[in-house]
Amino acid sequence: MPSQAATLAVPSITVRRRRRGFRHWTEREPVFAWLMIIPPLLFLIALVGYPFVYGILLSLEDRPVAHAGTFIGLKNFVTNFHDPVFWQVARNTFLYTFCATLLKAVGGLGMALVMNQVFPAKNVIRAVMLLPFIVPTVLSTVAWMWILDPSFSVVNWVMFQFGLPRPGPAWLGNPSLAMFSLIMINTWRGLPFYGITLLAGLQTIPPDLHEAAVIDGAGTWARFRYITLPLLMPVIFIVTLFSVIFTFSDFQLVYVLTRGGPANATHLFATYAFDIAMGAGQFGLGASVALAMLPALAVVIAGLAFYMRRR
Amino acid sequence: MARNGRNIFAGSRRDFLKAAAIGAVGSAFGPVAGRGQAKTIGFMHPSSFIKAYDEFFQRKLAPAYENATGVRVNYELTSVGGLQTRVATVAETGNGPDITCNAFSWPFLYGEKYLDVGDIAEDAGRENGGWYDSAKEAVIVGGVWKAVPFANIGQLMCWRQDWFKEAGYDTFPDTWDELLQAGIKLKKNGHPMGFELGHGFGDNHGWLYPLLWSYGGKEMEPDGKRIAIDSDGTAHAVDYCRRLFKETMTDEVLGWTDTNNNEAWFSEQISCTNNAASILYVGKRDFPDIAKVTQHALNPRGPTGARFHMLNPWSHSIFSHSKEPEAARAFLRWLMQPEQVSAWYAAGDSYYAPYLHAYDNAPMWSTDPRWVPYRDSIATSHLPGWPAPISRASSESVAKLVVVDMFAKACAGTSTKDVIAQAATQLKQIYRVT
Repeated sequence: MPSQAATLAVPSITVRRRRRGFRHWTEREPVFAWLMIIPPLLFLIALVGYPFVYGILLSLEDRPVAHAGTFIGLKNFVTNFHDPVFWQVARNTFLYTFCATLLKAVGGLGMALVMNQVFPAKNVIRAVMLLPFIVPTVLSTVAWMWILDPSFSVVNWVMFQFGLPRPGPAWLGNPSLAMFSLIMINTWRGLPFYGITLLAGLQTIPPDLHEAAVIDGAGTWARFRYITLPLLMPVIFIVTLFSVIFTFSDFQLVYVLTRGGPANATHLFATYAFDIAMGAGQFGLGASVALAMLPALAVVIAGLAFYMRRR
Repeated sequence: MARNGRNIFAGSRRDFLKAAAIGAVGSAFGPVAGRGQAKTIGFMHPSSFIKAYDEFFQRKLAPAYENATGVRVNYELTSVGGLQTRVATVAETGNGPDITCNAFSWPFLYGEKYLDVGDIAEDAGRENGGWYDSAKEAVIVGGVWKAVPFANIGQLMCWRQDWFKEAGYDTFPDTWDELLQAGIKLKKNGHPMGFELGHGFGDNHGWLYPLLWSYGGKEMEPDGKRIAIDSDGTAHAVDYCRRLFKETMTDEVLGWTDTNNNEAWFSEQISCTNNAASILYVGKRDFPDIAKVTQHALNPRGPTGARFHMLNPWSHSIFSHSKEPEAARAFLRWLMQPEQVSAWYAAGDSYYAPYLHAYDNAPMWSTDPRWVPYRDSIATSHLPGWPAPISRASSESVAKLVVVDMFAKACAGTSTKDVIAQAATQLKQIYRVT
């Protein structure tokens, strides 16, 4: 019997050892790390990498919709180089991104500083401040369409009350005002993202530092300049990085409000690329316009990555 | 077949079934009907804002066809704005419905993925009094019918009868110059006009191309190889447009998209605009007082003496990836037979103006004389890009709004010479003229 028991016991021990071996193997750090990384990596390759590479290939082709493409090298980029609208679109995109990001950074910082104070109903107000970010962009943009409509504009109505002549400004009809309006709306929508993220950053600053500074005789400005701002810098940079990327490639806002009008004054890379690829059915040329965003974004990302590493 | 011109859908269900069954079995698609048991074909359409029109297909036409042939037709509705993206995706991937509705010059963009439907189109023309020539302009690609034309959604002048009368006009001005004079008086009376000069889909092209043409201007020579935009005709049209904008409109029109002029119309802000018949439809439904004083008219004549309109065609194509090409053909052939097509036209009131001469005097035109200009405009309608052959390049010019922006920039203050030069530069690149 004992021998029988022994022979029976052998396989079960082997299995347990094997199992332990596999578990041991997966628990080794390099293996475990890869196991964790592979699923998101596959996800990124399928949903970001593949379209990206396909986009690059498209941009090198003359590729009308429903027609086989022919490789033409950099010809699409040369075409863009000679297209006056392309350069206008480039100027628009940079202006839009620069102004909106700057306004969001300054406004968001202000918002975070205010929200960081102690006041009644603080949590409710913090939640309400997030609304512009939560409401679907297309919906809030339609609301803005009515707010800016010269016939029904609440802005113009207020202006009439202060005695300005009718009809008030054509917010979306005047090329400069249209760009101004879009920057304002983008800022309105993006401000909570900045505000909440910076608020989170503010709350990680140890109160001891401020107390020590107060004892040393530092005023409010000095504490902001020498304690708050330097400690918040890493968060500001990360939020700015995200904001630049989102603003640079903005589409919905422009498409709902002006579709790039009047006379291309508000066309951005994303909307122009869409019109060429979908409206005109020129996939190759459209892809080349969309890819024109890449170098500028790459420079921003590389610059920020460099800054972060240095710190 | 029951081709006595009578609307068979007006009769009893039994009458209709009998007629449809006779038509189905006895006609060209008889053999298909025999094999067609349990087949399904997909028919993609933009959702119509006239509810009864889509409902007529879903409740009458599709069941009638299924009863007669056993072939089920899936009527797949897509939003008007989203249809082109959907057609492009279906054409690219070779996956999706068998038949699609086209707008504008789409057969020229997606034609390589469409079947030749010349036999169906020619039979439909023969059975329905012949096609308007302008219908052919939108569907014949390189000599091949890539779609069967259906109807035109015209863009015409829409004017406030009461305010025009107040300014001294009983009828709509016959020429652009007279329209300018009327507009100056109307604006003085507090009723500016409002024509879209922004980046919409249709209400901008709808009047600017006809304006350009009626002044003798054009983008390209008829050969499609030489740029023709830099002409006296274009310059005069641009100068005229700038005056019309400054003296009869408000600045906001430069930023308008297609919905804005409708909103301005119903908030009684404008006295004249260029739009499809949707304004009168919505007016009759929701704003009866405004509808009473809403009138339509053909576009004015230019200095050449001619008047033009923008062709805004709907047509039907069969995708080459279709697994049931014969069933799809049989269905399209059946749809275009007088019994069916006349009933479907009638369901859309007169919003969809038939491209077939047999319906020039159909009952739908006598319900309200204000629709009639939509019929009369077809003969002088063309697609953007005309008189050059319609092509991928002409679609690119439309997508880049070359002509619209040429006028809009002039209205915003750029000189006529500069806006024409900029348009010429763009056209050179688009048409690949070296």
